[in-house]
Amino acid sequence: MRRPDEVVDGAAEALAAGLARGHTRRSFLGRVGVTLLAVMGGSAVAAAVRPDEAESFHFCGHIWTTGSCPNPYSLPRIDRRGFPLRPRDGRPIDNLGRLVDAEGYPADETGARLAGPDGELLERGPRTRLCEDWVPEQFRIDAVTQGSWYRCCSGQVRKLVDCCSTSTKRVNGDKALRGYCYTGRRVFCVMYYDTGLPC
Amino acid sequence: MIETITPAVCGNRRRRRIAVALFGLAAILAAALVGAALGALGAALGARQAVIAVAVLAGLAAASELGFLRLPLPQLRLQVPDWWRFQLPLPVWAAGYGAGLGVGVLTYQPFATFWIACVAAVTVASPGAAAACFALYGAGRTLMVAWPARGGRDAPLAVEGLVSRRPALARANGLVLAATALALGLAAVPAAAAQPIYLGGGNQLDPSVSSGTLAYTQRDGTVAGVVLRPSGSHDVTYTGRTPSLDGNVLAYAAADGIHVVRWRSREELQRAPNASMPALDWPWLAYRIDTWDGARELWLTNLASGDLRLLTRVGAGLDLGRASVAAGRVAWTVSGVQGSRIGLYTIETEKRRIFVRSKISVLANPALSDSRILWVEQKRGFSYLRLRPLESSRTTTLASSGDRDLVFWTTALSGRDAYVTVWLVSSGVAQLERYRF
Repeated sequence: MRRPDEVVDGAAEALAAGLARGHTRRSFLGRVGVTLLAVMGGSAVAAAVRPDEAESFHFCGHIWTTGSCPNPYSLPRIDRRGFPLRPRDGRPIDNLGRLVDAEGYPADETGARLAGPDGELLERGPRTRLCEDWVPEQFRIDAVTQGSWYRCCSGQVRKLVDCCSTSTKRVNGDKALRGYCYTGRRVFCVMYYDTGLPC
Repeated sequence: MIETITPAVCGNRRRRRIAVALFGLAAILAAALVGAALGALGAALGARQAVIAVAVLAGLAAASELGFLRLPLPQLRLQVPDWWRFQLPLPVWAAGYGAGLGVGVLTYQPFATFWIACVAAVTVASPGAAAACFALYGAGRTLMVAWPARGGRDAPLAVEGLVSRRPALARANGLVLAATALALGLAAVPAAAAQPIYLGGGNQLDPSVSSGTLAYTQRDGTVAGVVLRPSGSHDVTYTGRTPSLDGNVLAYAAADGIHVVRWRSREELQRAPNASMPALDWPWLAYRIDTWDGARELWLTNLASGDLRLLTRVGAGLDLGRASVAAGRVAWTVSGVQGSRIGLYTIETEKRRIFVRSKISVLANPALSDSRILWVEQKRGFSYLRLRPLESSRTTTLASSGDRDLVFWTTALSGRDAYVTVWLVSSGVAQLERYRF
């Protein structure tokens, strides 16, 4: 027999799937939020929380409350090895949020290497895994990527990934849930990987 | 005003609602205009650093509201003209009253909070933000007209009820002002005040300071030169970059390597071919050598005795940043895709240690003084100027930038002054700023 929280989770998953099939939840909520803010507070406030930059614990496929893992922007998009990608287009970025070329050097939109104020080309900056590297340093806890699940987002399969820890608190500051973590770990924060597979 | 905007005065309940709406609209607009004007004034005055002044005034106002101090409040001892509502149409007098009270300065002002908000709006130095904040004042005045008499409640009774609560309101207001003063004071204490250094056109970077003389790289297009600005004397220039100054000795990098000169007489003392990124603390000179196999080495030499030491070597793929030498120590940074670290070497004991490391941030451009170390940390889209005593683990953030377009670059430390190159990425402009801590 399923536990009550599993029943609730199941219903939530079904709702999530329905939402995901229909539209991009993040952008939908983002646009509603921006419209509301624009009405209430004017464009200055609205400009500060554009959907692409908005700090949000909801993104397409994830309607639960656990927050995003720390990342260079505010949406925890990763590649299949857990390194950061630019949320907007999935291009690789370093920990500072700069686009990087194939060798990891900071580059502009065209792929040309960036130069510093001294005219010298910029050197490589850190590009490390959001769960295994960012979380331990920022929160002084252990963290490892464990469970994942899949949703359909913007016409492609999105893999949602739990960053799990033995910490009983999650990134939100409250009690962590078990989620898809195992070996006694709980969900500290969440990330996502867009597979590119159509759905 | 509660007793003025009533169904009896307005004619009926519908006209009262219209009057409240017009009053509110005018009050909010007027208050926002005042806020915008104050914000624009602050922007014109460059008053962004006056946070501490707001904190002090808020503290005084709190003492006044709580009865510890008697302070006269600037105010016009006037009320809105009573005759308007008899001689003018309802939309005009309702909006007029709203505007008059929304402006805030034309009538009695029994609480000091309004004036603190005015000073704070100047400090915000942004017309839009100040207008948005002040609009709340207009909304508050509207609320005080609409809320007590809601649902047909008796207006005079509502006024009496409010008056009876005045002491409690004053205490609450005083406590809020005290909390504001405390919060602003705490916010202002760790932050050092930025003092832009105006050095003319072009880009200025790589500061180095010694005995009151500032040296820096002046970059105009692709041409770079070293400029020295002694106090009370003419500028001295050299063809090169990345100066490091110690008294009357200057080390700088040129196309053929590092030159060490007495900068006033231009007498050359030493030359280090194929070396770059000099850091001088006479007689010690640290510099970087890029080897044929892509490795980078940090060397330290005693220019008087000839003592030569290899401090560190990093392989291809890692960046070895410019070092800093002071008081018998050398600091440097190493960064790569796996993270970055600041290394520290003690010349006397020949011991090395990692001072600070990170897997997620870029730690760069350290500057040493006798007792402190300054460096830049870049994390996510943020840039921080960090300062720490060498014998302590307590780090202070002198400045921060939450703008990806504004990045801190090279640094220098002299006494209680921190110098940093501020780089505007999109325009490529680089300028020097000083922070006194």
